[in-house]
Amino acid sequence: MKNFKFPLIFLLAALVNSCTKDVDFNQIDDANIHASYIVTLVHFDLEANKFLDEINQEMNWTSDVIAAKISTESQKYLEKVEFTIITENSFDREFLINVIFFDENQIPIYQLNPTITIQPNSSSTKTIIIPQSDIDFIYKAKYFGFNIEMPPRVDGGVLSGNETYKLNLKSSVELFFNYRKI
Amino acid sequence: MRKILFLSFLVFSFGYSQNKQVLYDFNGLPQTLLLNPGSKVTNKYHVGIPLLSQISLQAGFTGFSAYDIFADNGIPINDKIRAAVNNFGKSEFVTINEQLEILSGGFELPNKSYLSFGYYQEFDFLAKIPKDVIDLFYEGNTIIDRRYSIKKLSSRANLLGVLHVGLTKKINKKWQVGARAKIYSSVLNASTKNNSGNFYLKNGNLNIYNQHLDNVNFSLQTSGVVLNDQNEITPSYVKSNFLFGGSLGLGIDLGFTHQLKKQWVVTGSILDLGFIYNTKNVESYNVKGNFQVEGLQLVFDPNNPQKYWEEIKSDFDEDIILDTINSNYISFRPVKLNGAISYSFGRSYDYCRFLIDADSYLNKVGFQMFSTFGAVHSYIAGTFFYERKLSKKVSTKLTYTIDPFSFANLGAGLSMQLGPVNTYLAVDNLLNLSNLYDSKSASIQLGFNIIVHHKN
Repeated sequence: MKNFKFPLIFLLAALVNSCTKDVDFNQIDDANIHASYIVTLVHFDLEANKFLDEINQEMNWTSDVIAAKISTESQKYLEKVEFTIITENSFDREFLINVIFFDENQIPIYQLNPTITIQPNSSSTKTIIIPQSDIDFIYKAKYFGFNIEMPPRVDGGVLSGNETYKLNLKSSVELFFNYRKI
Repeated sequence: MRKILFLSFLVFSFGYSQNKQVLYDFNGLPQTLLLNPGSKVTNKYHVGIPLLSQISLQAGFTGFSAYDIFADNGIPINDKIRAAVNNFGKSEFVTINEQLEILSGGFELPNKSYLSFGYYQEFDFLAKIPKDVIDLFYEGNTIIDRRYSIKKLSSRANLLGVLHVGLTKKINKKWQVGARAKIYSSVLNASTKNNSGNFYLKNGNLNIYNQHLDNVNFSLQTSGVVLNDQNEITPSYVKSNFLFGGSLGLGIDLGFTHQLKKQWVVTGSILDLGFIYNTKNVESYNVKGNFQVEGLQLVFDPNNPQKYWEEIKSDFDEDIILDTINSNYISFRPVKLNGAISYSFGRSYDYCRFLIDADSYLNKVGFQMFSTFGAVHSYIAGTFFYERKLSKKVSTKLTYTIDPFSFANLGAGLSMQLGPVNTYLAVDNLLNLSNLYDSKSASIQLGFNIIVHHKN
């Protein structure tokens, strides 16, 4: 019988001792995984003729639109959206760029704030943030409009179309996610 | 694409066969014949209790344990998650394996060979997760030129029924050999392997950033997962596929026991040398190509409005080709190798000091090796063991295993014969019994058999 003792005691001790140290699975409610992703966005290179009509008359604005539906799968995790806009302007004119979100009926629902103001003969980098309270508009939008306004010169001068001016814009967006309750 | 993502998730959520180091060559149990068809069997016959003759569960994750994340130790969970991510190896793997013996039996033939047979159901899964995928999820992609690769991303999942019959034959006093033929009936199979591709961000020329998908080559084979219009997942569908209505395959196990010297024994086996020809509801996918994008170039031409989004989607679809293939394919079972050398000692005497059995010893010590290899992942484990016959009816085995999950995996087995009824239990990771949550792997096998031995 003594042969039984050691292995049985060992087994019983192991089995009886089987337990767990303190764990708290409710901690998962406090888990936050912050990750951010950079996505390249729009860019353009506009020359003076983009601001002239068919009869070479100066136009004070031009626009373009992107039709895109953003999937809502990521919406509950998205906390902040930060646009980076880099501009180079060799025009001796100021530009104002408005980015407007439209719904499926092409009705404006949101506008990036502030308006992107580009000074004459300048290079700049700007950051525009969409706060969490406004993120819903990104997912509601079906069209993203880009309106470029070129206010008239104070001295009344206009573009002729022979200028070599360029307005260059580059952009990206950083999406800040917080994966809660994974 | 969404279907592929779903299937990929499915693949990365299912298993794989593992080491049964405690059960291997343990006390002549009938189930040891499934680990080595050349094992020594001294029974006259055996019958497994249906559905209860072997219940086997194994699971493991090399990355981190539940305790690493959920320990109630005052450290904020987010810090613990960060530590777990930082300690994540270049790639870690997760396995789950479940086996349920439905029927089993065996008997000694007139020529003293032992014929054993049965049917078991098995579900196994392995997924190899590269750190790049974790980093991309956990940190994002904001580091310029940081390449996130899917090169080590691979996985396999299989749910199948196995009908088997084996023969163990003693050739001479020194050699005993055995073989087992298997027919596999697969309910579902999915695998992805040999993937490649990098995702990264670079400084751009036309725009601030240029995003790249380079050398993408991802393949996913499935059978029995994507059902055709005639099939639904119903109990009768699953039952039919288990019982040879599924994709069929053949396999063989081979094994031996060699009496090196009177007290020295060498054993070895190779298991699941076989394949499944996947023919039922087969759907496979291959995604291949290179893609880069610097963003959308606006042209501000009101007379010619551009479909920017459609164009970029079209470019993506042209550059990254998704092929859906419905051809039958062959999947190989992960092959398992077992080997052991043991030394027996200690005689058994009765109360009058007479030798009870000249051929048996009370103690056995030795070393076992286990290895599994397949296209998805291979690994090796080493085990020191001590087996002790406490009486004619009770045997125990203690094991110390070094494997990819742990350098100190202590296991124990107990086999008891109560009349003709045999019951056994094999568990490992005993050192973690004091804190199960801290264990990176665990396994248990238990079962009941009717075993009738020869009368002495």
